Amino acid sequence: MSYKIPMGPYHPALEEPYKLDLICEGETVRDAKLHIGFNFRGIERLAETRNYIQVIALMERVCGICSNIHTLTLCQAMEQLTGLTPPPRAQYIRVVMAELERLHSHVLWAGIAAKLMGFKTMFMTCFELREKVMDVLQAISGNRVNYSMNRIGGVNRNIDDPPGVLAMVEQLEREMVRTVIPIFTTSTTARSRCAGVGILTHEKALSCGVVGPVARASGVPQDLRRAAPYAAYAEMEFDVPVVQDGDVRARLLVRALEIMESCKILRQALTKLPPGELNAGEDKLVFAAGTATSRVEAPRGEVMYSVSWKEGSRNPSRVHVRTPTFAVMPAIRWMVIGARLADTPLIQASIDPCYSCTDR
Amino acid sequence: MTQTMTLLESIPEKLGTAEHWVEKGGVHWLSPCPLNVRELTAAMNDWKARFITITAYQLPGDQGFRLEYHWDLDGRLLGFPFLLAGNSIESIYDICEAADWIEREIHEEFALDFLGREYEPLLLRVGDKPGVNLREEAK
Repeated sequence: MSYKIPMGPYHPALEEPYKLDLICEGETVRDAKLHIGFNFRGIERLAETRNYIQVIALMERVCGICSNIHTLTLCQAMEQLTGLTPPPRAQYIRVVMAELERLHSHVLWAGIAAKLMGFKTMFMTCFELREKVMDVLQAISGNRVNYSMNRIGGVNRNIDDPPGVLAMVEQLEREMVRTVIPIFTTSTTARSRCAGVGILTHEKALSCGVVGPVARASGVPQDLRRAAPYAAYAEMEFDVPVVQDGDVRARLLVRALEIMESCKILRQALTKLPPGELNAGEDKLVFAAGTATSRVEAPRGEVMYSVSWKEGSRNPSRVHVRTPTFAVMPAIRWMVIGARLADTPLIQASIDPCYSCTDR
Repeated sequence: MTQTMTLLESIPEKLGTAEHWVEKGGVHWLSPCPLNVRELTAAMNDWKARFITITAYQLPGDQGFRLEYHWDLDGRLLGFPFLLAGNSIESIYDICEAADWIEREIHEEFALDFLGREYEPLLLRVGDKPGVNLREEAK
């Protein structure tokens, strides 16, 4: 006999509100339905009422963790409409901010995953590390969450002391290599709790169109930093970690390896930071009528913005945001079918969901 | 990369149009698309392009809507616009699973119908009629 267990929208096992209706037989999940919308704020509609300065601040609020990525993607789209090209130093600073944000996101996620595994010491360690990443972000931008770094045609703030920031990053990398990476890649606890759990097959990953670390953990080697480089990524050397297994452990491994790759990129960007201006220096902007689209590889995967402008307007006529969790979340259904009920919180957390982004 | 370029360049001919790609605003556009949206989706599936999203626009006055369908082909962003005089278009959900949620969202935001599918509510506008959020008449 099957029965339905509702999980959410407000539940101790969920980071943010959404609802999962689980159809179970005994302890085994046979099917699931997902419901979102509990964080809906109508941001796309609000964007139509903001001018080109205000809309950047608004879209920075789409997500609390990858706020920089949203302004970067939006500014890249608006740069196409204004014809402005950010100077090289700004492109490098954009890479530094994006990779620090990836570190922040992955370490935060690692802490939450550790907690759901019942590994609370690891949770504490990850959150301590996360604080240190935020210290670096604060040292650069003056802010710990919404950094206000991007503007149309460049960035708002310089990195005044690249060697100092590099020293902070190297200290972080040493601590991660000593604690997080070995535990997530070799620990028996992590392996026994995550291996073979919540499998998303390669075929299903392709048909669902999943993105980011979830795709790469199912053997889909897709990363916009490599496939369609933006900012200064074309000048960076890095690997794109891909694991074939498609289970929770594979997602853990991919993110752990991506932490190392982010450190590698940060080292290059901070060492090679070119001199020059921070932005194109235009204050009065003229937007061409039409639509521009930009994509960026956020910590959770591909973000896409389509921005539309009418002639002579100060406001966008339409801003459409396709966030990574919106693409990945429907795949949770396929991950939990056949899983034990007790594993579903860990499985849903393994995609690193952001409902704030999803609902907008 | 060369293989991708070759495939990309050959797509218009394979789709049966004399039009060429126009690269604008970060997208390779093929407009007008010679196929209907389901035929296009089937072709994209054959070429293993990754579906990304649909962006909906309401056009001024009574001109209707424009839906832009986007796929990724090895890092290249492809765009195909479809103009809607009415309020509906065929759903691609049954042949492109990744389109499920965006069709549901556009249905709720613009009150457009994707024919041939059922909707489970996204709860974006619980208790409201579809279209309250982004449809001009309802703003």
